[in-house]
Amino acid sequence: MSSALQIVEHEGAEPGRAPYGNYRLGAAYDEMFAPDGKVRPHYAGLAESVSIIPAEELRRRQQACEASFLHQGITFTVYSDKQATERIIPTDLLPRIVTADEWARVEAGLRQRILALNHFLRDIYNDGRVLKDGLVPRSMIYGSKHYRREMRGLPVPHDAYVNVCGTDLVRREDGAFVVLEDNLRVPSGVSYMLANRDVVRRAFPDLFRAQAVRPIEHYPRELLATLRALTPVRDDVSIAVLTPGVFNSAYFEHAFLARQMGVELVEGRDLLVNDNVVYTRTTSGLKRIDVIYRRIDDDFIDPLIFRDDSALGVSGLFNAYRAGNVVIANALGTGVADDKAIYAYVPRLIRYYLSEEPILESVETFLCREPKSLSHVLANLDKLVVKAVGESGGYGMLIGAHATKAERAAFAEKVKADPDNYIAQPTIQLSTAPTFADGGVEPRHVDLRPFVLHAQDTVIVPGALTRVALKRGSLVVNSSQGGGSKDTWVLSN
Amino acid sequence: MLSRVADSLYWMSRYLERAEHIARLIAVKLETTVDQSREDAEASWARVRAALWTENRAATDAALTHRLAFDLGNEFSLFSSINFARDNARQVREQLTIEVWESLNLLYLSLKPLSQDAGSSRNPARIFRQTLQELHALEGVTSSTLSHDEGWYFLELGRHIERAQLICRLLDLHFGVARSLVAAAPNYFDWLVLLKDCSAFEPYCKVYTAAIQPERIAEFLLFNPEFPHSVRFAVDGVCNALTHVAPGAPPHRRAGVERLAGRLKASADFTQIDELMSGSIDHFLADIAGQCEQIHEAVYVAYIAYGAETVL
Repeated sequence: MSSALQIVEHEGAEPGRAPYGNYRLGAAYDEMFAPDGKVRPHYAGLAESVSIIPAEELRRRQQACEASFLHQGITFTVYSDKQATERIIPTDLLPRIVTADEWARVEAGLRQRILALNHFLRDIYNDGRVLKDGLVPRSMIYGSKHYRREMRGLPVPHDAYVNVCGTDLVRREDGAFVVLEDNLRVPSGVSYMLANRDVVRRAFPDLFRAQAVRPIEHYPRELLATLRALTPVRDDVSIAVLTPGVFNSAYFEHAFLARQMGVELVEGRDLLVNDNVVYTRTTSGLKRIDVIYRRIDDDFIDPLIFRDDSALGVSGLFNAYRAGNVVIANALGTGVADDKAIYAYVPRLIRYYLSEEPILESVETFLCREPKSLSHVLANLDKLVVKAVGESGGYGMLIGAHATKAERAAFAEKVKADPDNYIAQPTIQLSTAPTFADGGVEPRHVDLRPFVLHAQDTVIVPGALTRVALKRGSLVVNSSQGGGSKDTWVLSN
Repeated sequence: MLSRVADSLYWMSRYLERAEHIARLIAVKLETTVDQSREDAEASWARVRAALWTENRAATDAALTHRLAFDLGNEFSLFSSINFARDNARQVREQLTIEVWESLNLLYLSLKPLSQDAGSSRNPARIFRQTLQELHALEGVTSSTLSHDEGWYFLELGRHIERAQLICRLLDLHFGVARSLVAAAPNYFDWLVLLKDCSAFEPYCKVYTAAIQPERIAEFLLFNPEFPHSVRFAVDGVCNALTHVAPGAPPHRRAGVERLAGRLKASADFTQIDELMSGSIDHFLADIAGQCEQIHEAVYVAYIAYGAETVL
């Protein structure tokens, strides 16, 4: 191919022309192409690279990415009747690019949000001002299965209940980033953010350098600093990552973070509590632990206090926590602030605690507990997505547009029987980003999960996990349902 | 170091040593078969099976090779050992370097297809040589990328305890009680195979020339202090590792382990081959293997599986 040809092809990067033969712009906002089919300026470099590199070479690089994940053991295990199969979460070769301006807004919005949510958690576990003022109904808090009575009145370092947060954002048709969901319990995916960067940077080294992509490799260091800030400054603070073990689907991430931070990775069986102090069992004897970054749900953390059938946790851990002898991050009971009904209140919480207008919008949400909303929801079931409040991972959910009449009628009965338990949102067209598929490049729907660290200060590493629905037209980005991920490039100017 | 981590490193290393041993036994067997009569080949297969605790026979040599090498149903197969080693490595993934983990993982991934297809291995001898090379490379990567800290010494401990026991087993089949497991007595050719099974042929020749004498072979494989696959070398490895593990453990916890190590070292250092060849070799081999077992148990009691009440 002559260089003249390359330039012609680059100038001609547009939907419908190879390798964009199957690129159809729909109603969704497209990350790469403006509605008129022109390449957005910040994607010009990527467009050029994709035009210059032969399809065969692109495919080879894509395979190299996948092989690298397999060799590194970045896999999750699918158990079927007979054998366990290890699979990778596919990484798409083409990075998703976010401009400096877009990122500045996202970052400011996330800072504001985590601050308000931490204020809210402190409030409901202490004075309950927001409940007395009638802003949030008491029943929503005390009825939540993630509310932990045991946390009432307990002091938490820096009043930082949520130390690690993964917030899911999507881009609306009009191009604005809106918050879809906060993950305040044990958010995962940050190892994919880092691993994707590692392989994609190698696939496009020149482009990466030319684009002035902001670095994210310091995430583990920032996480360590955040965990350290939770306990009085001493030289010999001992920190551990608590994992459910090698069979957990996020085990790779737990091991990865422990290794990158240089702290111990422990399982429940490595820990024991004596006299309200937590120890690990080492070859040389018992060693005290000061901070636990736990990757186990509240329910399983201490069989004496929570689920007594849990083999993952540590008996007596909560009492050690209550005694102030160990810090657990995130604090227990944070799940009460990330359920789907509270989500609708977050803009009000931001105004209430910070006296600021929310920087990031939320998705319009109808609370079925409010009679007016309920009748609206029931009348428009075919246009809405209805979700059970306490569920996640796509359970207890109705996507009205894709459901049959009978399914909608059956769901309507469930909603009427227990309206408090349901919320509804309009179907959102997630934005699409160019994705390598069958030798060509096609649009696929994506979301964005940045990770927020918060102790004394808030730190947001300029990057995110971009999840992508690899099936054509699919809006479901979950890895369990055919989702993959992309490297996310935040540009510095 | 966490006791659980020490446990996993120790077993990872034992399984890798076992895998190396199995791969070498099969490679040597397949390479030498062509030179043997049917009866001799039969007898040497029986010796390999006995050395690897695989009692039941298989219909064909290929089926037997598959069973010894790739059958996950056989706990003592090559692939089972690599699989166990990798499982242990996964549990301490954060303790290993990316180089160590990737080498082991690649080896596992390359052998995995063979375990799923009984008839696939066209040129098996080559596969086992290659596996051996990769295991040696893994050992080198481990030695050159991992810090030689306590975890490293748990790897050393596992490797050398396993090695001492495996060599004792092989020697037992040629000199000791287990001799009766194989109908035919070893002939000249079998002594060569024994040396090759311990990758000892060339080092042996350097010391004793190519004159193959069973007594000299026994002496070399038991007592040579410089050859890495001798019992004495392995025992030294065990004792050296034991002085470095659990550095912070109080003296009374270390005492039991160190006493056993001292006794084992004395057995390996001060026994004469002449005494053994005049009759007590079977007892001696069983004693060394038994002492290794005792050390294993003592390490667990002192450093790994101790009750919390004993230290509070």
